[in-house]
Amino acid sequence: MNRNIFNLTRLAPWLGLIGGLVLCCLLALFFHESPWHVFKILTTSFYNSKFDLGLTLFYTTCLIFAGLSFAVPMKAGLFHIGSEGQILFSALIGAYLGTAIVPFDNPFSFIIATAIIILSTLAAGAASALLIAAFKIFKQAHEVVVAIMLNFIFAAITTWLTVNRLQSPTSQNPETALINESFQFLKNDYLKTYFENSPVSVFLFAALGCCMILHFVERKTFIGYKIRAYGANPHAAARLGFTQNEILMISLGMAGVFSAGVGLTEVFGNTFQYKIGFSPQYGFLGIAVSLLAQQNFLGIIGSAFLMACLHKGASDLDLETEHLTRDFSRVLQAIIIFSVAASYYLAQHFAGRKRKS
Amino acid sequence: MDSALVLILLSALRVSLPLLFAATGGYFSEKSGVAQIALEAYLLIGAFTAASFTYYSKSLVVGYLAAAVFTALFSQIFSLLILKFKGNSIVIGTGLNLLAMGIIPIISKTIFNSTGSTPSIELPEASPYFPYIVLVLTLAVSFWLSEKTIWGLQMKFAGEKKLALQSVGISPSLRQWQSLTYSAFVTGLGGAVLSTSLSSNYSPLMSSGRGFIALAALIFAGWNLPRSLIVCLFFGLCEALQIQMQSNEAISTYIAAEFIQMIPYAATLAALLVLRSKYPPAELK
Repeated sequence: MNRNIFNLTRLAPWLGLIGGLVLCCLLALFFHESPWHVFKILTTSFYNSKFDLGLTLFYTTCLIFAGLSFAVPMKAGLFHIGSEGQILFSALIGAYLGTAIVPFDNPFSFIIATAIIILSTLAAGAASALLIAAFKIFKQAHEVVVAIMLNFIFAAITTWLTVNRLQSPTSQNPETALINESFQFLKNDYLKTYFENSPVSVFLFAALGCCMILHFVERKTFIGYKIRAYGANPHAAARLGFTQNEILMISLGMAGVFSAGVGLTEVFGNTFQYKIGFSPQYGFLGIAVSLLAQQNFLGIIGSAFLMACLHKGASDLDLETEHLTRDFSRVLQAIIIFSVAASYYLAQHFAGRKRKS
Repeated sequence: MDSALVLILLSALRVSLPLLFAATGGYFSEKSGVAQIALEAYLLIGAFTAASFTYYSKSLVVGYLAAAVFTALFSQIFSLLILKFKGNSIVIGTGLNLLAMGIIPIISKTIFNSTGSTPSIELPEASPYFPYIVLVLTLAVSFWLSEKTIWGLQMKFAGEKKLALQSVGISPSLRQWQSLTYSAFVTGLGGAVLSTSLSSNYSPLMSSGRGFIALAALIFAGWNLPRSLIVCLFFGLCEALQIQMQSNEAISTYIAAEFIQMIPYAATLAALLVLRSKYPPAELK
């Protein structure tokens, strides 16, 4: 009996996802579209061609990182919606360093240069996330308000830097110059060739690795225990000697590093430059990904792939239907968030009734 | 007094109108014990509804009323998920913001065949004082409701001590639902000001974080309505300065537009640094 209840609550978000999808397709009726047609586009467009599948896997990579960036602070009870700004900021730092640093013509110098760029991009992401922690530690400001304000500010700063300082001289679009050719080593990697030059790159494996490492860290290490303990009960954790400041710094710092992962994936795996507006709000998509997986780090892999398929499908709605646009992706995220949130209650309610009878 | 200064102060009052409405709306929701980060969505829905209804009916009153009513209807999703399904209000609020951002372009495409702005509204005989009249009325009603009526007291008890309310036989969820709906109603009016008075059409994402700025104002003011309105006026001043600076050639050649646009957000963060909320935001859990 106990096992049964456990299963039901565990399955709840997935049932919520199905419910959300059905609701979304029914919503299409209001816009004079056939729900079945919309459903077919949403669910099948990701494997139309090898290129499409590669694109979906690229989205998956970004969404895994974005999902982790939301999930880690959530374990500590923090609602982190600032990853959009951190993604923009770190991607710009990565693109700038990629053009500014020119390695010498030997493998040793190349490795050092690559390491410097990747580490400083990750550090930029972490630093921008720690700003939120600083506001929370020193002024008890609410993280949601601070994060939203920082999102606006980072968007303004990166736009200004791109247009006025780093604009590519050979391009009409607002984007930076391509990074140094020696850093474009992912241009011909195995995955890209296999998927007909789609944006996917080896960062996919990095993202998968991060999920597995985090899963291990959460369950088997002291630091994972600390964060979980703080998230479950801050007062009890304080009695155990885990201070709020420490937890905030660690969890938000890690969140920033994962946000920077999205930036790296874009700049070093896809376009090799910083383009204004490259992110279709990965930061917010990450929230849906993470909630769907109930912040389970291994579950994030599956939910990221699912959301990537739906996102790919939603962006095809532009071409395939008359009234629905790519904005439908946001509606989809919202409805999935709602139905997942409601599904917990329904599952518990249902399980509770079963137990009584 | 200098005429430029008067101009800035007047324009500060004008641009802080949506903030004042949103802060009043947020106050009712936060006081009843529900964290409200969907103010942004309410502003957007209100702005879009007001723009479309005013465009078709050629009447501001209809536009404002429609904005308030439709936003209140839209907020029923929030109330249902929070009160009935016991969802986390921050999670649902984020979802609501996404929903508003996503659904408006699709509706706009169905009605006006454009995903961007709505067609511009032409109302030659509309009074420029109309939004101020609405504001004064709203503030008066809100203050009376929250401070002078038994309903207001019960609404606050729903936020602070549910048990006390239950013990006199009143359902806290009922008061919370009424308060959430009123909150959306008022914030929708703010959205209407945004699209019909501050500009002449709805443009995508025109609320640009005002919902969150209003929430920040409430936090600084320690969840006190009159004080939060003063903070809103301060944020309005920052925004008015930003608009003045952008139109001033001498300044805009030295400071890039992106930095000037940043002023309201930076001011919010600066205020968070300088001021400190006296009462911990218990509602924001």
